[in-house]
Amino acid sequence: MAVRTPAKSSKALLEPAATELMVTAPQASTMLTTPPPDQIIIPDAAGDDPLLAEFGMEAHPQGGFHGLLEVIPTKADYILDLIRANSLWPLLSGLSCCAIEMMSTATPMNDMDRFGMFPMRASPRQADVLIVAGTLTTKMAGPLVRLWAQMPEPKWCVAMGTCTTSGGRFKRSYSVVQGVDRVMPVDVYVPGCPPRPEGLIYGMMKLHELVKQRRGEWATYADRGPELRSWEGDVR
Amino acid sequence: MGHLRRPRSRAALLGRRRPLTAPASAGPLVRLLTDRFAGTVTDLWTDEDTVEVQVPGDQIVFTLRTLRDDPDFAFFFLADAAAVDYGVGNRFEVVYHLHSDRHPTWLRVRVRVNRENPVTPSVTSLWEGAMFHEREMYDMMGIVFEGNRDLRRIYMSPDYRSFPQRKDFLLPDDAADSPSAGNRPLERPETWDLTRLGDAAAHRDEPGGPL
Amino acid sequence: MTTTKEPRRAKAPALPSVAPAGQAEEPRIPDPLELDAAATAPRPEYYGFDIVPPPDRPPQTEREREIYTLGDGEMLVNMGPQHPSTHGVMRLVLKVRGEVVIDLDPVLGYLHRGIEKLCENATYTTVMTYVDPMDYMSAMHNEHAPAIAFEKLYGIKAPRRAEYIRALVVELNRVFSHGLMMGFLALDMGGLTPILYSFINRDQVVDLLSAISGQRMLFNFFRVGGVNFDVNDEFLSRLGTWRAGVLDTIEMNEKILTENEIFGARTKGMGVLSGQQAIDLGVSGPNLRASGVPFDVRRAHPYSIYPELEFEVITQEGGDTYARYLQRVAELKQSIHLIDQIVDRMPHGPVQAQVPGIIRPRPGRAYAAVESPRGLYSVYAISDGGPNPYRFRMRDPSFISLQVLPKLMPGHLIADTMAVMASFDPIMGGVDK
Repeated sequence: MAVRTPAKSSKALLEPAATELMVTAPQASTMLTTPPPDQIIIPDAAGDDPLLAEFGMEAHPQGGFHGLLEVIPTKADYILDLIRANSLWPLLSGLSCCAIEMMSTATPMNDMDRFGMFPMRASPRQADVLIVAGTLTTKMAGPLVRLWAQMPEPKWCVAMGTCTTSGGRFKRSYSVVQGVDRVMPVDVYVPGCPPRPEGLIYGMMKLHELVKQRRGEWATYADRGPELRSWEGDVR
Repeated sequence: MGHLRRPRSRAALLGRRRPLTAPASAGPLVRLLTDRFAGTVTDLWTDEDTVEVQVPGDQIVFTLRTLRDDPDFAFFFLADAAAVDYGVGNRFEVVYHLHSDRHPTWLRVRVRVNRENPVTPSVTSLWEGAMFHEREMYDMMGIVFEGNRDLRRIYMSPDYRSFPQRKDFLLPDDAADSPSAGNRPLERPETWDLTRLGDAAAHRDEPGGPL
Repeated sequence: MTTTKEPRRAKAPALPSVAPAGQAEEPRIPDPLELDAAATAPRPEYYGFDIVPPPDRPPQTEREREIYTLGDGEMLVNMGPQHPSTHGVMRLVLKVRGEVVIDLDPVLGYLHRGIEKLCENATYTTVMTYVDPMDYMSAMHNEHAPAIAFEKLYGIKAPRRAEYIRALVVELNRVFSHGLMMGFLALDMGGLTPILYSFINRDQVVDLLSAISGQRMLFNFFRVGGVNFDVNDEFLSRLGTWRAGVLDTIEMNEKILTENEIFGARTKGMGVLSGQQAIDLGVSGPNLRASGVPFDVRRAHPYSIYPELEFEVITQEGGDTYARYLQRVAELKQSIHLIDQIVDRMPHGPVQAQVPGIIRPRPGRAYAAVESPRGLYSVYAISDGGPNPYRFRMRDPSFISLQVLPKLMPGHLIADTMAVMASFDPIMGGVDK
């Protein structure tokens, strides 16, 4: 029986066709020449592929473990995750007091640049992380959600401060959204009013762990599609 | 038998309330106000650093213009324009605070505004800087300023329908539980029993630490 | 393999056909010369990414009609609530002709948290936690004014040592606030170094303030009747170290900015505000003094221990952005001088008068104004005899200073709007309350 071995060396990455040939071992001798175009065998649906069926991966439309990402990440995935984690570029979305502490984290006394996070991008198209720093009000919720929607994936959201975690000290206010997770999926909550820069860095380290382990909201978010809860009715 | 008085700490002496300052002796400002605005100005009250007068709504622009332009008064700076809601059956009030170099005290001018029909003249013709003050008073209290060229909402969205700082706008959730509604648990010793909050609070002081 | 099924064919994706389904036509590659005609054909109005169309409801007021009526060659550009300037969330709708700003409409309220309403349900001590995040860069001033107002209502005075500590922390707050303004002004014009130096200074001062109050930014330090904690050894040792190095830290920034040609070219003559105009618009504080009007609340309506300290009211001439920058640098150094005097003269004594936890002042009204780094910050408090203030009104200087923008900006380029706005140093927390 054909066994698909996980790629243990980088050579396997350079020759993806090699696994294909290994799979079709009995017919390997017939494939020494280029096969005619009308005989290219491409599995149309995951259900047709016995290989996926053997590992129980056929239920997912693209062939994978349903609901989870790959259990055994390849070296490429690992390196990609390392690259992503070590250069998370935040979006300049400082709303209020926590923004000053976020800026303080980016400046020489508590350097966020050591973790690759210094360039605070002004445009959401170039940003990875949305650090919501400051109180989110009902008037600002619309623009902020639009910013989140404009950010390309993979993207993460860090709720900095108690105002974004749960409404904070403005718990009974008529115009404050009680926690930014009412309008967007949040990966890391950093409590504090405002959190110390060391606290924000701790939160970013947790985010690094999430990124490297492919946990967090964006993983399932990308899988299932965005499920933004409506903010118009349910903010208070 | 005399009382044995415990010596009180200096801090306690400082915390004892002085009697309310009696209305100060008529300084030059008070005399000027009573002379110049005899009919208009009512309810004069002074404190050690504020002189307060009340002016009817139709006279306010004329009064403030005189206060600003007359060299004896010279109240050139409008420090604050605030709105106060005295309750549903009661009135609104617009309060102006003025500063002058010639007089050492603040001047507080209060204008009564009818709560059912809250319209009052605007002072933007005197100070352009009153524009944002008036917009905020309109946004939060619903007081309409006649003569203001730009009276629209400033804090809330343009389609917002209530006036948040009115007394009949109750904050949701627990307006009924708030101290202003009469719920003052810190003043009732029976609420100081922590066991009713649950296990963690009840066993808070026991040795053994959390968990 | 799957022997029972036939091998599937790869389906080639079909090219989209331009012609209707009946005719089999090849897709047409347009001739380069034809593009010219298409390019020169009249096009409908273009709305790009950051260009906002006029609002689709009819303008409610005269002024709105004035701004949103576009003349010939004019365009509305939105500097939206999220923009690289670090003042917070404010939206400016600019009416521009080319690059020159014709008119301006500031849209506020993106940070309105309803603090005044929340304070009506809070006890007089809890109010200190609500007013902190208003003007978050100068939280001590935010607490100073309510403390004075509530003390007037309650009828007590704070002990002298408490007043000295209050003045000390208030001046420390002014030092780092003005230092940050220098950095933000440069940042809004594109210079990235001064902000880093400003934050070094700010972090040093904030470490000092955290030694005395426990918090880095939203201090919750003032109480009705005094302050919360006394000066301790940690604070004193940090104060000594800081004081020895602060003038050099400020010098680092000054060396880059004050004599800089580029900085000068971008700030001198920009946003000129005359003294009379400033008074008319309600501008106060360093912005007013930079236009030549010597109005300082610490001298005009003295509070705390300022009558005993020696300082002069500094003014500049010109009222342009450069003058406002110089004014703040001068006031920063004046604050350091004031801190020296305060530390020399601090008396012994208690730091808090003994007042109950929930105070109930007699019914009355009180007004207290302090000099915040942005101007005259005042509190008007009305008490009804209960444990909560009946009306708690704050007058924030940044809010009033923003009225200056529609008067100053016309005639400047878009890039200058940020520089002029940064020179007024608004903080959105205070603007929106």
